[in-house]
Amino acid sequence: MTDKNNPRPRRLRFEIFRYNPEDPESKPHIETFEIDERPYMTLYMALSEIRETLDASLQFDFACRSAICGSCGMLVNGRPALGCRTLTADLPEEIRLHPLPAFKLIGDLSVDTGIWFREMAERTEAWIHEQLPFDPDAEEQRMSDDIAAAIYEGDRCIECGCCVASCGVANVNPEFLAGAGLNRIARFMMDPRDGRTDADWFEVVAGDQGVFGCVGMMACADVCPKELPLLDVYAYLRRRTLGTKIASG
Amino acid sequence: MTPQVITTDVLVIGGGLAGERCAMEAAAAGQEAVILSLVPPRRSHSCAAQGGMQAALGNCVKAEGDSPQVHFLDTVRGSDWGADQEVANIFAEEAPIAVRELAHFGVPWTRVRGGTNIYFIKGEFVDIEEPLENDGLITHRDFGGTAKWRACYAAAGTGHAALYAVDSEVVRLGITVRDRAEAVSLIHDGTRCHGVVARCLRTGTYFAVMAKATVIATGGYGRIYGGYTTNATINYGTGAALALNTGVVPLGNMEAVQFHPTALSPSGILITEGCRGDGGYLLDKNLHRFMVDAEPEKQELASRDVVSRHMMQCIQDGNGVDSPNGRHLWLDIRHLGEEHLTTKLLEVFDICRDFAGINPAHDLIPVRPTQHYSMGGVRVNKDGEAYGMAGLYAVGEAACWDMHGFNRLGGNSLAETLVAGRVVGARVAEYASGATLHANTGLAFDALNAEEQRTQSLLSREGSSRSVYEIRDSLGEIMIGKVGIFRNGADLSSAVDELKVLIFECDKAVLKQKGPGANPELAFALRLPGMLRLALTVAMGALARTESRGAHFRVDYPLRNDQDWLSRTLVRWQQNAGEPTLSYERVGLMDLPPGHRGYGSDERIEMEASLEEYNEGVLDSQSAEGRLESSEAMGSKLRRYSGGAA
Amino acid sequence: MKTTTGSLKGADSISKARRQVIYELISGCTGLVLALFMWGHVILVGSILTGERGFDWLATLLEDYYVAQPTVAAIFAIFIVHAVFASRKIPAQLRERRQMIELAKGLKQSGREKVPSRRDNSPFVPHLESMLWIWQVRTGMVILVIGSFHLILLGIDVFTPLFGPGPGIDSATSMGRVAAGLWLPYSILLLCVEFHAGVGLYRLAIKWGSGVLPSRHILHRIEQLIFWVVLGLGTLTLLVLAGWMSPPLEFLLSGVSP
Ligand SMILES: Cc1cc2nc3c(=O)[nH]c(=O)nc-3n(C[C@H](O)[C@H](O)[C@H](O)COP(=O)(O)OP(=O)(O)OC[C@H]3O[C@@H](n4cnc5c(N)ncnc54)[C@H](O)[C@@H]3O)c2cc1C
Ligand code: HEM
Ligand code: HEM
Ligand code: SF4
Ligand code: F3S
Ligand code: FES
Repeated sequence: MTDKNNPRPRRLRFEIFRYNPEDPESKPHIETFEIDERPYMTLYMALSEIRETLDASLQFDFACRSAICGSCGMLVNGRPALGCRTLTADLPEEIRLHPLPAFKLIGDLSVDTGIWFREMAERTEAWIHEQLPFDPDAEEQRMSDDIAAAIYEGDRCIECGCCVASCGVANVNPEFLAGAGLNRIARFMMDPRDGRTDADWFEVVAGDQGVFGCVGMMACADVCPKELPLLDVYAYLRRRTLGTKIASG
Repeated sequence: MTPQVITTDVLVIGGGLAGERCAMEAAAAGQEAVILSLVPPRRSHSCAAQGGMQAALGNCVKAEGDSPQVHFLDTVRGSDWGADQEVANIFAEEAPIAVRELAHFGVPWTRVRGGTNIYFIKGEFVDIEEPLENDGLITHRDFGGTAKWRACYAAAGTGHAALYAVDSEVVRLGITVRDRAEAVSLIHDGTRCHGVVARCLRTGTYFAVMAKATVIATGGYGRIYGGYTTNATINYGTGAALALNTGVVPLGNMEAVQFHPTALSPSGILITEGCRGDGGYLLDKNLHRFMVDAEPEKQELASRDVVSRHMMQCIQDGNGVDSPNGRHLWLDIRHLGEEHLTTKLLEVFDICRDFAGINPAHDLIPVRPTQHYSMGGVRVNKDGEAYGMAGLYAVGEAACWDMHGFNRLGGNSLAETLVAGRVVGARVAEYASGATLHANTGLAFDALNAEEQRTQSLLSREGSSRSVYEIRDSLGEIMIGKVGIFRNGADLSSAVDELKVLIFECDKAVLKQKGPGANPELAFALRLPGMLRLALTVAMGALARTESRGAHFRVDYPLRNDQDWLSRTLVRWQQNAGEPTLSYERVGLMDLPPGHRGYGSDERIEMEASLEEYNEGVLDSQSAEGRLESSEAMGSKLRRYSGGAA
Repeated sequence: MKTTTGSLKGADSISKARRQVIYELISGCTGLVLALFMWGHVILVGSILTGERGFDWLATLLEDYYVAQPTVAAIFAIFIVHAVFASRKIPAQLRERRQMIELAKGLKQSGREKVPSRRDNSPFVPHLESMLWIWQVRTGMVILVIGSFHLILLGIDVFTPLFGPGPGIDSATSMGRVAAGLWLPYSILLLCVEFHAGVGLYRLAIKWGSGVLPSRHILHRIEQLIFWVVLGLGTLTLLVLAGWMSPPLEFLLSGVSP
């Protein structure tokens, strides 16, 4: 952003990772682009400008451009963040952009988070295992507002994949459910509508793909754009799993 | 590389709430379903809906006495009598079921807290005693244009919670989802639809999907307004364009474009109506609540078209706040308190913090009216079947099922996606189970070839031209400047001319990038003609409609004209024609005769004919336009829901 | 409709999950025991601060009542068990370890300022703990080498008197060898152990207690405080052992007869 004493806008230098797996001639490399900063510029605006004026082949993903759809995770100077929500004013003049690690690369800054999350949902059966079928004529099952609020808190994850990309374990162990997966499990665990027992949960949540794969690097919680209390979630899952373990001998 | 042809029973284009709910219904009935989506389904724009979903459960004190009847009345009044009342009736009756079903799928609806609750209503804090026996039921918040508190909500992430719950069910049902796949044309023989040609956005290759039934659920077309929209960057309206390109299927009421009063200025990111529902004010540059003067009864909570117009008027009268990015007004929610803002309106709090750098508990929010919702879309009958083409359906914002008429009420859209998803999904399943698949691969290959050729000719253009992005920017400027909130004949006809020039320019546009793979520029260049065509249908429809109704406001014809315009615009684009053709049908069978909405102006030109006379001609006028007969099964269902609304 | 629970199910993977939980418990518990022991250790060895008499009195006491011998054996065992189970989490391949280090460095170097958070457990900016974990692994390796050597040395010290002549742990031997050059490995070991144990305990607290215990920032402060206090004590101890400083607390025992 321009400051008052110096009306000239900053010149931003973007160092962007480039690679198009569909092009046999393409090799991973870094390319540099320069543009002028504008007030309230986000990385979404900056990247669009680069694509529209400097290099039309640049691949990246944005959809909602308002930090709710989770499309636009990328490594910004080494840290996973939502591109649409990152103001260039918060960054130095040199901005390094890389695709999120831990996911399959589609090209340049675009990665395949959709497949990762669908697989995660299938593995953890991330849907309500209801006790009774739906009765269209019946009143809704009651629930205290406090429980509803607690579930909503867990439901706020936007599946941007920042937590996964920031986690050392998830980067080397593709099976690891990581922040988003564990958070999703906890969300269903605390839902009174879900009929799964602690013993059912044990198999999903325990073990090295589950919460015991986490070594406490805590990057996930630091980068989560929704500021989900991921560390509290893991501790809750650990304690609850141990409780199950002891109770069942 | 040989192109791929996939076959299935039901093909749904679009993984938003409407598409997914529809696919679920088909899959649950035993049909194989495939969903195509530009993005992983959970990233569809439905996730951005914040405020709530209308359903007349009547659970909290301020909702007492609510019923589907009252909801129906609000919806029709909101539509400025542009809605199909039969559809609005089905909708209002089914909405409570849809909400409860979502609860069943896991949506954490905010619940009634029995005991004393403090609400903020019309400028003051009010203590209300919620009866203990209602504790734990789904609660409501106030929204614009409704007689009762009716919007069910999950904090400020209603669409997100709903979409995740529905997508969970899609995963559970094992429905195939091809994300990053874009439908680019329909495979049809002029009377029947057989599927689509799609482009893979990972690799850039084309494939065809052949299906017994094809459902368009591609959402709205807000992006024809360039950056002046609250819609996601993926809301190009391609679904409507696909239907338009058949030359047979008409689009309905394209000129009915909603502007939301409170989008963050300048980014256009939506600040939910829930803010005003929960007690927020609109202020002008003198921090005066101008809505109290303009609408003493509903104040900030009149319907969106009315509030947006008052805001624009206020700005035009010189009471807007100057800023480097144009004039805006203020939304004030400071008095609701940080506690409320970081729980029930958390997403709003975050948006203000992240995109405007302000804390809404201490600062005013700069807002201005911005394009928000497309009432128009693929014209369908009560079952969701497209006019003029068997086996083609449309649902959600992409459709003109037409319960919104000329103005959608806040919260009615989420409800529509789910109700219509259920209703149309059931019909699709029924149709698909009766139909046989005409795996006419010849047709598929022809369509595939046509697309490949289109791409090749696009890539082989040489020379210099404006870039596709520049053309897009011009499109946005024309639409917001001349087809915006206040419209007039002169501007509209110049918009029509300019759009035609753009279409011509687009046909010549040269790409900078011809490389292999997804090629984002190519992908955009393939969509742009569709966007321009839609824009032209909007502008032409608006030019032809010489009255003001709902969101369509003509400064040169400021009155609603029920004598001449109690009709729905239909627009077709004949193959190889230079411009679309307009025609009209009656809006539908009416229970509630046209009258005053209860807010906005009471002046209008009355219809001379009686309601009976009007209703008499409805079905004929619609059949003449290609409406397919509703199915027997739906018919009986409809009978169950229709009648006795007024 | 799929309604069965899980692709993760199946007799085989149940026992696998169970086994992995037990491994985690073992590494956590042994880590906890070792860390607590190290606090005791700094006090026991720290007795040298009261002079040679105090140190020898304590050593003899522990040996005469056969506390020292089993403790050494047990600690040695726990030490090895911890090393084995904790290192399960270290990626086997060099490439993977590099990847982790790159990532952690990037996270730590990225200085993006953030708007203040609403939460108790608000982010660390820049992010720290990934790098701390890498250092935990590195220090663990060092501890394994020097610590084993040290334990063997002490094992010889405490067990030889059981079978023949030997002084056991005594100040003269200790001071002799520290002065002779062991001060160097010991100071490295000291630094590594205190760091590793401090961070380890902090991590244990977060892993099991987040949401119940005080916030991450407070726990981090506590961890740092303990780290510096124990490191200080240990350093003094080393200085005295090496003979570079006279025991500062000798006056305490000045009136006591031997
Ligand atoms: C910011 C915002 C807030 C809103 N808040 C509310 C609210 O509080 N209450 C309310 O009732 N309504 C609200 N609405 C309106 C409501 O969210 C939408 O109208 C509704 O979600 C539309 O759902 P849909 O399923 O029809 O379309 P979408 O959710 O937009 O889904 C469209 C789908 O189609 C896919 N698609 C598009 N084109 C193609 C193609 N060519 N090929 C393949 N796939 C394609 C996309 O990938 C996407 O999956 C809001 C809208 C906005 C913009
Ligand atoms: C006296 C010596 C040691 C002490 C006091 C100690 C203490 C601890 C503690 C308290 C933890 C935290 C456990 C957890 O988070 O679950 C830990 C973890 C760890 N220790 Fe040690 N440790 C010691 C020696 C070693 C040795 C010799 C190694 C071997 C290389 C080692 C490697 C590790 C590793 C890799 C971890 C991380 C494990 C994980 O995060 O799951 N430690 N240690
Ligand atoms: C039961 C087992 C242990 C006994 C009896 C013991 C005893 C001693 C003694 C007597 C000394 C003085 C120096 C010497 O004689 O060489 C010493 C110093 C030291 N020991 Fe141990 N030790 C034990 C375990 C450990 C372990 C497991 C570690 C860490 C891995 C450790 C780390 C150190 C360090 C760093 C010093 C240097 C002095 C200091 O700064 O405290 N010891 N120990
Ligand atoms: S937990 Fe946070 S970082 Fe991870 S996917 Fe969800 S929103 Fe993104
Ligand atoms: S970063 Fe990874 S190791 Fe655990 S605390 Fe977060 S999941
Ligand atoms: S574009 Fe949707 S989160 Fe960034």
